[in-house]
Amino acid sequence: MPESPKMIGRVTRCSTRGFVGAMQISENALPVFGSLCQAEAQGGRSYVVGLVYDISITDDQFARQLAALDEVPQEQIADGQLNRQVPVEFSALAVGFHDDDGFHQSLPPQPPLTLASVFSMVPNDAVDFTSELHFLQMILNAPQLPVDELLATSLRLSAQARPEEERERFLLQAGREVARLLAQDLTRLENILRGLRAKE
Amino acid sequence: MSDSSELDAYFGPKRDERPLGIVLDGSLSAGLQVKLDPRYAIEKLAVGRYVVIQSRITGSTFFGIITDIALGATTPDLLHHPPDAADTFLLDVYSGGVAYATLHVSPMLMLDEEDDQPRPIKTIPSHFSAIYEATAQDVARVFGEEDDEHFYIGTPLDMEDVQVNLDLARFVERSSGVFGKTGTGKSFVTRTILAGIIRSGLASTLIFDMHNDYGWSIKDESGREYKGLRQLFPDGRVSVITLDEATSRARGSKFDGTLTIGYEEIEPEDIELLASLLGLSDIQTGALYFLYRRLGKKWISKLLDEQYEEEIQNILESGRIVGGTLGAIQRKLESFIPRMGFLVPGEGSKVVDDIFQRLNIGTSVVLEFGNYGNTLAAYVLVANYLTRRIHASYVHRKNLAAGKKGEEPRPLVIVIEEAHKFLDPSVAGHTIFGNIARELRKYNVTLLIVDQRPSGIEDEVMSQIGTRVTCLLDNEADIRAVFSGVSGASALREVLARLDTRQQALILGHAVPMPVVVRTRDYDQRFYAAMGMDETNDSAGQKPSGEDKLFPD
Repeated sequence: MPESPKMIGRVTRCSTRGFVGAMQISENALPVFGSLCQAEAQGGRSYVVGLVYDISITDDQFARQLAALDEVPQEQIADGQLNRQVPVEFSALAVGFHDDDGFHQSLPPQPPLTLASVFSMVPNDAVDFTSELHFLQMILNAPQLPVDELLATSLRLSAQARPEEERERFLLQAGREVARLLAQDLTRLENILRGLRAKE
Repeated sequence: MSDSSELDAYFGPKRDERPLGIVLDGSLSAGLQVKLDPRYAIEKLAVGRYVVIQSRITGSTFFGIITDIALGATTPDLLHHPPDAADTFLLDVYSGGVAYATLHVSPMLMLDEEDDQPRPIKTIPSHFSAIYEATAQDVARVFGEEDDEHFYIGTPLDMEDVQVNLDLARFVERSSGVFGKTGTGKSFVTRTILAGIIRSGLASTLIFDMHNDYGWSIKDESGREYKGLRQLFPDGRVSVITLDEATSRARGSKFDGTLTIGYEEIEPEDIELLASLLGLSDIQTGALYFLYRRLGKKWISKLLDEQYEEEIQNILESGRIVGGTLGAIQRKLESFIPRMGFLVPGEGSKVVDDIFQRLNIGTSVVLEFGNYGNTLAAYVLVANYLTRRIHASYVHRKNLAAGKKGEEPRPLVIVIEEAHKFLDPSVAGHTIFGNIARELRKYNVTLLIVDQRPSGIEDEVMSQIGTRVTCLLDNEADIRAVFSGVSGASALREVLARLDTRQQALILGHAVPMPVVVRTRDYDQRFYAAMGMDETNDSAGQKPSGEDKLFPD
């Protein structure tokens, strides 16, 4: 039975270039750096595809006071991690969108609206989306992001979404596309390519 | 609706969907730069291979030849910091992308559907046009079908089912050349072409057979025996005239006559070409004409025979020639002429008229030198002697025909080996061979020159060579010489320098629509049969086994 998308948060800030989602969720349900997610847009007629590039947990007054104690009771730790007053935030770079015609690897026509639902992308959709690699250029063009790490991790995760026998071929194809884009910067290219293989 | 096999029969099989690469750069004069598709292994391609380029814009089809293969990189950093050879992933990623292969392609012809014949190109395909390996049908379309005038000379490399046909009418129309290092099969290629000319009847041939390679049976380096032209055409289309009866008999050759040249038939012009071989200085060479004028037809005998000493003394006393010069001439002629058994006092065998008559009725003549072939001066003397006279007969006959007082002489191809001895820059300007090469087909006489040092042949003569059949050459000067006067052929230099040492030749020029590298056809029983030889009636020739090949595997 195909896996159904899990809701991982709601949009709190957004633009056509990306969005920030937040939710009070367990550690296990946290989105992963470099993973793909989708946020509803245009009244449900489309989904913006985002690539998670940052996950942040901001502090609150109570957590700061508890951190100052010599010993924090387990109940307090569990309460602080599960029943947080300030939700976990994750930031996603818009790398495409999905509409009636399928996936597109370009910026979405409209961003998701505030409190729009954000879902993790199921492996089948991730495979479908990454069957084209034009989105790599959008990652490389993103300012002030850990681009190289993001690129390597997202491709590695995309490979893992595929059947085992297809992973090597996908990584090779993706590696060649990255090489095409970064042909003039061999040092950087080599780091990314090593990242593709690092945790396979 | 037709099924695919019917369509294939009509159009030829569908071209492989995957192109070899795409055109990135180039010009009409310099050829095209093609980036190889990374899915192709560069090692599987070779210079000399044919390709078809499909224009992306107009759909026109260009036919070309791969002339160079190179490796490149998008960044020079790759050369300084290559990936770890043990990291196969990195190597695979870089291959075909950051590190890539390019082909240099010389476009030669256009193959448009609406044209019956391929046309020479006047433009080039646009950027990103796809390039494919040529199919057998493409190649066959370029080189046409074998017929009376188109002679199957070999197959393109890696296309054993496709024939490359030489247009013999065009081949004999202008002087031609067969070049190649010693041991690369020049004589076999020449004999194959000559058999084609003789079979076609388009021209008579006069072959100055220095090493006894053409007339009767020949043995290769491994001792295998192959038939000569007279055995291939036992019906009288080939005559063998020998200069050395004893050797011809010893070899078991059948010959139709013996050539002797009388001392009285030799003229100073015949000796002049030997100047460098006999060591005659310019002054001594000039004195030959004076001596001929003073001593008359018997000048050679008088110079060599002591009984004419008084007459010689009179010449010296006249003061027109100094004793040193005369003495040197006598010594040098004495060291050469009496040793040549085919040179006889008095008059010779008067065979020139006979040879001319044979040539004019369509009989080809092989002049077998026997042991005299080892003496270059003998070869040069006889070739020069006969060619001058036969050419004069042709000029006379042609002039009569122009005045409607006679018939056109039959086209003649004169085959000379060691051609650079006749056509080097110091003599080509005033020898009969230089004249024949330059005057093209004016008098229906052309040359087929066979040589291993084309760089020794005068540039002007080389530029007049219509068709060049070139086996392996590796000397830079020789390679340059082969391409002199051929526009756009410099790209083929790499192809030429990489021919196999055996049974491969690059053919370019007048008789082929485009330069072509061929594996020359086997000179074996099938070839004999193709030349019309009936083995059952062949009592004279050796019978080669069915497996016999010119160059066995």
